Amino acid sequence: MNRDDLIKAYEDLRDETAPQGDATWYPNIRRLFGTPFEREKDRLETRQAMEECEAEMQAWYEKARTESCTWWLENHLVARHALKGCISCGVCTAECPAAQYYTDYNPRVITDAVVSGSEERLVELLKSEMLWYCGQCGSCKPKCPQENNLMGLISSLRFLAQLKGYHLASARGRQQYAARHLWGGNLWNRALSFYFRNAGAETHPDFGPRHAQYQSQVDEQMRRVGASPDAEGLFGGRKTAPETVEELRRCIAWGGTLALWNQLEAQAAENARAMGLSIDEYYDRVRSEG
Amino acid sequence: MAKQVCVIGGGVTGMQAATVLGGLGVPSVLVEKSGELGGRVPRLSRTFPFFNDDGFNDGRDFTAALERDLRANRLAEIRLNTSVREMTGDSPNFRVRFSDGSVAEAGAVVVATGFEPFDPTSLQEYGYGVYPNVITASELEWMLNPRGPSGGALVRPSDGKKAERLGIVFCVGSRNRRIGAPFCSRICCSYSTKQASTVKERNPKAFVACFYMDVRTYDRGFEEMYSLALDRGVKYIRGRVSMCKQLPDGSIAIRAENTLINKPFWGEFDVVSLSTGMRPCRDADYLANVLGISRGPDGFFLCREWFRHPHDASRDGIFLAGCATGMKPIRNCMIDGAAVAARAAALLRDA
Amino acid sequence: MTIPDNDLFLTPSCILGALNPGTEVLIGRIYDLLGLRWRAGGEDPRSQCTCCTGISSHGDVISMESTLLVVARLWSIAADLGFENITTACVTSFAIHMECLEMYEHEPGLAARVDGWLRQACGRGLRIPKHVVHASDIVHRYRQALAGRFRYSLVEQATGRPLRVVDHVGCHYAKVFPAKVGGAEWCDVLTGMIRAWGGETVDYPERRHCCGMGFRQSMIRPNRGYTMACVLKKLESMAPWKPDAILTNCPGCNVFLDKEQWAIRDLTGVDYGIPSLSHSELAGLLLGWDPYDVVGIQAHTTPVEPLLDKIGIPYDRSKERIAEERAELVQIA
Repeated sequence: MNRDDLIKAYEDLRDETAPQGDATWYPNIRRLFGTPFEREKDRLETRQAMEECEAEMQAWYEKARTESCTWWLENHLVARHALKGCISCGVCTAECPAAQYYTDYNPRVITDAVVSGSEERLVELLKSEMLWYCGQCGSCKPKCPQENNLMGLISSLRFLAQLKGYHLASARGRQQYAARHLWGGNLWNRALSFYFRNAGAETHPDFGPRHAQYQSQVDEQMRRVGASPDAEGLFGGRKTAPETVEELRRCIAWGGTLALWNQLEAQAAENARAMGLSIDEYYDRVRSEG
Repeated sequence: MAKQVCVIGGGVTGMQAATVLGGLGVPSVLVEKSGELGGRVPRLSRTFPFFNDDGFNDGRDFTAALERDLRANRLAEIRLNTSVREMTGDSPNFRVRFSDGSVAEAGAVVVATGFEPFDPTSLQEYGYGVYPNVITASELEWMLNPRGPSGGALVRPSDGKKAERLGIVFCVGSRNRRIGAPFCSRICCSYSTKQASTVKERNPKAFVACFYMDVRTYDRGFEEMYSLALDRGVKYIRGRVSMCKQLPDGSIAIRAENTLINKPFWGEFDVVSLSTGMRPCRDADYLANVLGISRGPDGFFLCREWFRHPHDASRDGIFLAGCATGMKPIRNCMIDGAAVAARAAALLRDA
Repeated sequence: MTIPDNDLFLTPSCILGALNPGTEVLIGRIYDLLGLRWRAGGEDPRSQCTCCTGISSHGDVISMESTLLVVARLWSIAADLGFENITTACVTSFAIHMECLEMYEHEPGLAARVDGWLRQACGRGLRIPKHVVHASDIVHRYRQALAGRFRYSLVEQATGRPLRVVDHVGCHYAKVFPAKVGGAEWCDVLTGMIRAWGGETVDYPERRHCCGMGFRQSMIRPNRGYTMACVLKKLESMAPWKPDAILTNCPGCNVFLDKEQWAIRDLTGVDYGIPSLSHSELAGLLLGWDPYDVVGIQAHTTPVEPLLDKIGIPYDRSKERIAEERAELVQIA
């Protein structure tokens, strides 16, 4: 099946409607989300979108991929203001939940690598598991006496790690391929980072049997409180109009994100080949390891 | 031309300036806005660093000695409960109007208005003002003074029980760009070390921990005082404290990162003392306007030329001494007081 | 930060609507009750609301510039409809919108560039809103007015005891831009509601600790131990005060403080049983709205019914339509 046919097949299925009381319901979304079919369609579509896009930021991120890490720290919108000199006072580490949970982690290791300016140390950091422990809570942010933005710095470094493929060296980093399709796929197709069926019982056994039972009735339970699961509406689970999805996609593209997604795809394909896995086996592998 | 000097501030610096001026035969009028001489020193439980072993065991003993010297020379007119309202004229013919309406002519003015401890209520993470067992260093100091509220015993404000575990948090309100206070307040590491050492000396079984970013005990005798504290078993943990937490019994818990060994430290304390940094005196802004002199970005008064004229204000005939120009230990305030007395006397002689 | 009192553009959340759907619909119902003028998107198909990309951003799969554009698009829809005030349903969205505002303030030339890209992308222009607040700010602002219409209050009906309610303010509400919300430590957004609605606030050592949602930490299964550990730490710390409920304003916090209690019980044997409610859920319950059909408490893992019993809110358990748990629970002292 060629690209255009595949995309059309997906969209035809997606846009099929069925009546549901007064609402218009889309019965196939639940069959399409998170599937290899959707991922393959996304792969092709985003590559096409990238080829057709002349966004300045896309070109910038493409260029950034080939520059040094120290170049990134001086030029990336977030990284360049994130660190103003760290005296390693430890106030960030004192309350960092990740530092309490991951006993060999402390956020100052990250600032130290950045302050060193050493390309070698930065690459080592970007390849480490440690880079991925931060939960982005921001507990450090109101405390730093130097007004450093550690949270933003880590976020920026993670982006760089993926652009350059260094994330493949760590199990937590490899998970980003799954992340790209989980949240990126939801955004690209459903205009929401998190889709209500993502919290299924199989992936969330820690939520217990009550949750599992609720999820087995989730459509009905959502509708009764006024949400719109896979239907047109304002709130939870809503099916967004294709015109809005198109605008969202173009916003994503014009911000340069497709450069990242396509990089992640290329890196994953190579990594999967090296492991002797199909891309879908790889997807399942990376999101269950770590 | 007036032959007297107006000394603003009756703390140890102002008293020293007036005394030395008297020794040089120069009369002065010393104005102090409160009802007592000595400034912040009388409430100190101890002066430090104990180098010559002539530290005073109650700040009031020291200021009483200063006051005797001051009054003995008879050339200083002391005006308590008086502050400066307005000043006209130029050096060496200033006319100073006081809060009681009276006017004095002065050939020179000495600004010895001291400092204000930082109020940590605004740093809500420490819980000062909310958790009774979180106190300031000034409050700890007064508590350790035998004339203080508990006869010099370290007790928990929440229930009055004896305190065996003291946590001292350094750099509260200092070295913090985030709150617009990027400067170091110089004396806090030292006074905190003195307090910690004193508590251990009186109660060797007490658990005393100091949470620091650096230990800046750098004046003569201060490093020795720090060593003495360590010998006495004061624990120093290099990790800035991010917050105080209150446990069900009112004790205060602190988690800090011991950055030297990269391990977390969790401590539960009866009392936590916040070693607050310093700010210029409350009236610094007002006085700067009245006297027509400049202040630095940190709010303390600025000297004319950093190295050659460290005691000259930005305006002729006005001299700066003591903590009004930035925090310093008592001994350095005394040195300043003598230095400006000489400058002022020279000005009057040559005018 | 000034809280607007009307004319509110509501940006719905992805996670809130997904995991605790009643909570989000309730925001609209509360706005209606208060007689406020509000919208959650435009009429035409190209002007619907989308995710703010917060989860994708903190999950590191989207660039800052893409986020700026997506948010700018939402602002432009609001402006087209005549709204200057943005209220976000989600706390992560709140921080994302605030971050965009901060960047425009501190990054010279950025606003012009984003405006240019937005025009290229979808023919819209960058229009910076006058106010950006979180929906809980509105509920806080109107807490007394709401209290005046409540049928119930945060008081144990049988004894008259004010209920002890822990406030858990989302990290992204309080810590990322603390100056805007009254500080990271003692901000009033939830404690104000608790007090106004008859309850007693609880301070406990780990009150300010993150719930542990952690974006990639909770959503990618092998990482979720971190989330569970954070929830456990908080529950252990608050337990001595025997709280009757936890009040939240962030969807992530609401979900994880609720749902991880099951795993914690399974692993440790201790059932904390402290229901975790969103501000809009609590308001809805105290207003007397149906716990299942309107508030949607059946979405919770930790049962809310014991709290309803304490308050004296009647309910018909059969409306839950979920089979009851049969395992015996170990109660904490």
